Amino acid sequence: MAKSKVRASLMLAAGALAMMVGSANAETLTVYWNAGHAYDTYAQVIKQFEADHPGWTVNWERFQWPDLRTKLVADFSVKNPPDLVEEPGGWVQEFGQQGLLTPLNDDIAKDGAAMGYPDDWQEYTVKRNMVGDDYYGVQLHLTCATLVYNTDMLKAAGFDAPPKNWQEFREAAIATAKGGKFGFAPNPVVSYYWPWIYQNGGDYYDPATNKVTFDSPEAIEAIQFVSDLIHKDKAAPVPVAGADYEGPQKLFTAGRAAMIITGPWDVGPIKTGNPNLKWDIAPSLTEKAQGTQAGGTSLFIPKDAKHPAEAWDLLKRLVSLDTEIAASIPNGMTMPRKSWASDAKIQADPVLGKFGQCLSYAHDITAEIRLTGKSAPIEQILQAAIDDIMYNDKPAKDVLTAAAEQANKLLADK
Amino acid sequence: MPSLSNWKTRQALTAYALLIPAIAYFAVYFFYPIAVELWASFFRGQPLIGEASFAGLSNYMTAFQDPRVQKALATTLIFAIGATTLTLLPALGLAAILAGPIKGSTWIRAVIFFPYIISFVIVALMWKSLLDPYSGILNNVLMALGLPTQSWLSTPSTALPTMIGVVVWKDVGYAMLIYIAAIQGIPSSLYEAAGLDGATPRQMFRTITIPLLTPTTLFLAVTIMINHLQDVSAPFLLTNGGPADATRLYSLHVYETAFVELNIGYASALSFLMFLIILVITFLQFRVFRRQVAY
Repeated sequence: MAKSKVRASLMLAAGALAMMVGSANAETLTVYWNAGHAYDTYAQVIKQFEADHPGWTVNWERFQWPDLRTKLVADFSVKNPPDLVEEPGGWVQEFGQQGLLTPLNDDIAKDGAAMGYPDDWQEYTVKRNMVGDDYYGVQLHLTCATLVYNTDMLKAAGFDAPPKNWQEFREAAIATAKGGKFGFAPNPVVSYYWPWIYQNGGDYYDPATNKVTFDSPEAIEAIQFVSDLIHKDKAAPVPVAGADYEGPQKLFTAGRAAMIITGPWDVGPIKTGNPNLKWDIAPSLTEKAQGTQAGGTSLFIPKDAKHPAEAWDLLKRLVSLDTEIAASIPNGMTMPRKSWASDAKIQADPVLGKFGQCLSYAHDITAEIRLTGKSAPIEQILQAAIDDIMYNDKPAKDVLTAAAEQANKLLADK
Repeated sequence: MPSLSNWKTRQALTAYALLIPAIAYFAVYFFYPIAVELWASFFRGQPLIGEASFAGLSNYMTAFQDPRVQKALATTLIFAIGATTLTLLPALGLAAILAGPIKGSTWIRAVIFFPYIISFVIVALMWKSLLDPYSGILNNVLMALGLPTQSWLSTPSTALPTMIGVVVWKDVGYAMLIYIAAIQGIPSSLYEAAGLDGATPRQMFRTITIPLLTPTTLFLAVTIMINHLQDVSAPFLLTNGGPADATRLYSLHVYETAFVELNIGYASALSFLMFLIILVITFLQFRVFRRQVAY
């Protein structure tokens, strides 16, 4: 009896010791990721990473963007950030300027040629992840929003082809808005208004004068055009208030909106939400120019990351061409590599091919203002102005002029 | 035999020793972060995470002149006063009815209390779905009745009242339950004496129940008001502060100033101003109710 007690005690002690040794060798790589981008392909890449690094576990934490940012900023304040982070665009330069990120110059000098970076990436996706001459991030996804339309609703209203310019768009929107249905469903989020400004020859910011230009006649006309669709033409509803991008997609999927401006992220919800819906993707509208907003996510390694070498290894795997192709086809996501865009499988894909076409004329509209470090508060000012125009039917000229004055004052402040 | 003073000293030392864990807990998790926030409020830029320069009181001076802060504060006061009042009045009425021997009152109380125990995330998702201007049940009912539909959360004039309605729906059961407990604690002899004097039920409610409930009303008014003055989940989840800032409450503004704009020094100053505002409002509530408290 006594012997068995001793044996049991020894076994328990050995077990505890083994656990302690095990935990001493075990390492965890913490990755923050957007919940909507947790594709199976990435899960497999992570699984392979763990297999290739015995004793390592990837703690793949998934969040919505606002939650991810809140947690990340809190982590920065206590100098305990994750090892690798996916960001929605703009954060790399914002945090890079603050000295919160690891420069990737040495890693790129070592591995860039083998992985195709930066030459195989669309040029503007490299620039948007740099501060000065330093690389701080690598683009993971590259998206652009373009016109998505309900072919049946347009045909029923007498339009065999999608609109190409604003006049045609307005006519189609008015003609399809009847019986509780809308011709166009706008989004409340400010970035969805930038394509209109670009198409009318406007811009957001002039680095030469360090002033915003969203009060230019072109920008005012563009925003007033969208407002008139709501308040004058009664062809569009006021946007559903909220932080998500889903309102227009839900109306479109339900067959209650003929046209929306969206990107590849809405392909899945539309297909699964209403498999019988007949819809298609059109090139972005051309008014004075054909244009749209480029977006997409990037990956970065925080300065105080505990395992930067392993984080870089995982980053390389996540942005490889094979991973890009495997992740893009089932999820309808467009990617930043030139070789991805020219891949035969991608070009043959009816959805990806059409969204991919607008990447060539898309602009990263906030690229220059981000370098001022004041992009976020200025975007808030513009969002408030857009809200005032869209919800309160205020004249775009008055509201945007006042907003630009406020933004320029902020830019002038040291 | 130990002297009395020695015994008292030992007792005091024991008490302090027992209190050390609690004091350490509050010092580390409450007072230290508050002190850090106060320190950060005197800096411009990104104290705690990045570059910052000493700004003295300029963050506080800026806050007094910032039109968005003034608007957010005004919206928050309307929201907090509206939501508190509209929670307490029906809660008192329901408690007066359900405290009595009514058949099925336990079930009715449970049903009314139920929303209080649901996470606000679920509440927000549910109400957003019900209030959806195009597919929501509420508008479908209005349409079926031939009435005009509403964009409840997407129209600047209706968004704030709608948000107040949602938080009242969630909180009214809690206030009702507290009121029921308080009503049941009122001695029945008071009602019997009033009955002998010929008082009607309405007179008894006005002259006995309401005055004797003032401590409860004070407690509920103070705690519910403080919750609503600090509320960030309702605007964040229901409207994100929109449309056109109609539901942009002060706490949401502070959150966005800190975490979206990364203006951490200014956000810290705004937080401390809110702390002072809550302190003043709570003091006023105590002053007003104390005059009427009947024990």
